[in-house]
Amino acid sequence: MKLNIKKIFRKQNNQIQHSADNIWLDTFLLELGGLSRFTVQFFRELFRPPYEHKEFLRQANKIGLSTLPLIGITAFIMGLVLTLQSKPVMAEFGAESWLPGMVSVSIVREIGPVITALICAGKIGSGIGAELGSMRVTEQIDAMEVSGTNPMNYLVVTRVLATTFMIPILVFYADIISFYGSYVAINLHDFMSLRLFMNLAFDPLHYFDLIPATVKTFFFGFAIGLIGCYKGYYSEMGTEGVGKAANSAVVISSLVIFIIDLIAVQLADLSSIFFN
Amino acid sequence: MITENNILNHSDQNSVIEIKHLKKTFNGNTVLKDISMNVRKSENVVILGKSGIGKSVLIKCIVGLIQPDSGSLKVFDREVSDMNSNELNILRTKVGFIFQGNALYDSMTVRENLEFPLRRNKILRDSHEIESLIVEALENVKLLDAIDKMPSELSGGMKKRIGVARTLILKPEIILYDEPTTGLDPLTSREISNLILEIQTKSKASSIVISHDLNCAKITSNRMLILHSGVFKAKGTFDELMNSEDEWVRSYFKTE
Repeated sequence: MKLNIKKIFRKQNNQIQHSADNIWLDTFLLELGGLSRFTVQFFRELFRPPYEHKEFLRQANKIGLSTLPLIGITAFIMGLVLTLQSKPVMAEFGAESWLPGMVSVSIVREIGPVITALICAGKIGSGIGAELGSMRVTEQIDAMEVSGTNPMNYLVVTRVLATTFMIPILVFYADIISFYGSYVAINLHDFMSLRLFMNLAFDPLHYFDLIPATVKTFFFGFAIGLIGCYKGYYSEMGTEGVGKAANSAVVISSLVIFIIDLIAVQLADLSSIFFN
Repeated sequence: MITENNILNHSDQNSVIEIKHLKKTFNGNTVLKDISMNVRKSENVVILGKSGIGKSVLIKCIVGLIQPDSGSLKVFDREVSDMNSNELNILRTKVGFIFQGNALYDSMTVRENLEFPLRRNKILRDSHEIESLIVEALENVKLLDAIDKMPSELSGGMKKRIGVARTLILKPEIILYDEPTTGLDPLTSREISNLILEIQTKSKASSIVISHDLNCAKITSNRMLILHSGVFKAKGTFDELMNSEDEWVRSYFKTE
């Protein structure tokens, strides 16, 4: 009898597990399909007039200005901490003079773009998700549609383009501030002139470090804007829907940033082998 | 290619909206079972019914925001479900929609709210003409003072009026009002109802007013329909329905 009960429980658990897996898979495939269709729609609307230059500039200005202080503080701390943490290890190997170079390569190649993109996913992605979500809930998107205007063109294209072009600029700004943070960290205990620091920092940097790192930031920006807009545009009704839209915009775009980064690293690695 | 002219070239000059056996189901719940109605030119039709019964769904079907499951829905003698997105956009400039929650663009000023449909539809390019149209629309709703205010600075009644002005600026031939007096005090409700009547008299536009406010229905309606359980249970003028022999119709008026 005991065995039978165990069997029944095991069977039921398996069924529940199986249906839970199916729900997860269904949701994942539905989201993927929806996002793909949204991307196609975006590219279709991108080349269709009217072109909203004014709204694009407004969004770019909003995204850039609102994120500058946060990115600046984070980048400064990033450069400072990275230098302070690496210094003892480098000193053990007698390679303290390589510290600016090591920090600059780490920041330019990886830490600068990824950390900046993650901050932007949190701040900009959630902002776009919440803004469009509340516009959906308060029927403002419907109002645009029924007045014969295309909300996709006005709301989505401008925001996605703004994030695509602003994230690389923010990453560049973050890299510079991080360098300064690193310079300050080195000068906390020792003395190194700014000129020497810059020479040592830029010496190991090559085009192969800069180009893939810059190219991937455009993709980061595109993903943040697109996912934020998608989640907001198709937000469920009610305030809970807006919250969910903002939250899932951050979660999905953060995950996508890591996936893009992984692909970018692999491609950069392959291309460096090919060109060398 | 269908142009604005042949979309609006209606065969029956009297009927601007014609609905036959319309059905709409959401997740197995049939909201509209068998809806048939028409709206004639310059006529105000009020649809009464309890909340959540599908009144808003019906007018959203008319502008193509919701696709019906079956039945025929013709606006200006053209089947809405057969229209492509361009044709639908042309139609939508001729059919104004006033939302229950006003749906004013909260990141724009009143001026920008009114300018937006004109600019985006490229109806007017000259900024002086746009400005004079905005002023005229705001004067019609007696809110010219609010031209540079943000929607958050306006009261519920003012927002409703701005919503009406934004719809009127495109000079629609049909106006769909979704619960225009909901959430307003009796005095403001009466003002909005009078405004609807004034618009009909001035612009000769046809209207469908969705409401469960009997005072609004009394002021604005030429004809009334009562929606219940997915079908129209009663039709007639306000007085006819109020004095109906059918007890259910009369009791509806009392309970409402």
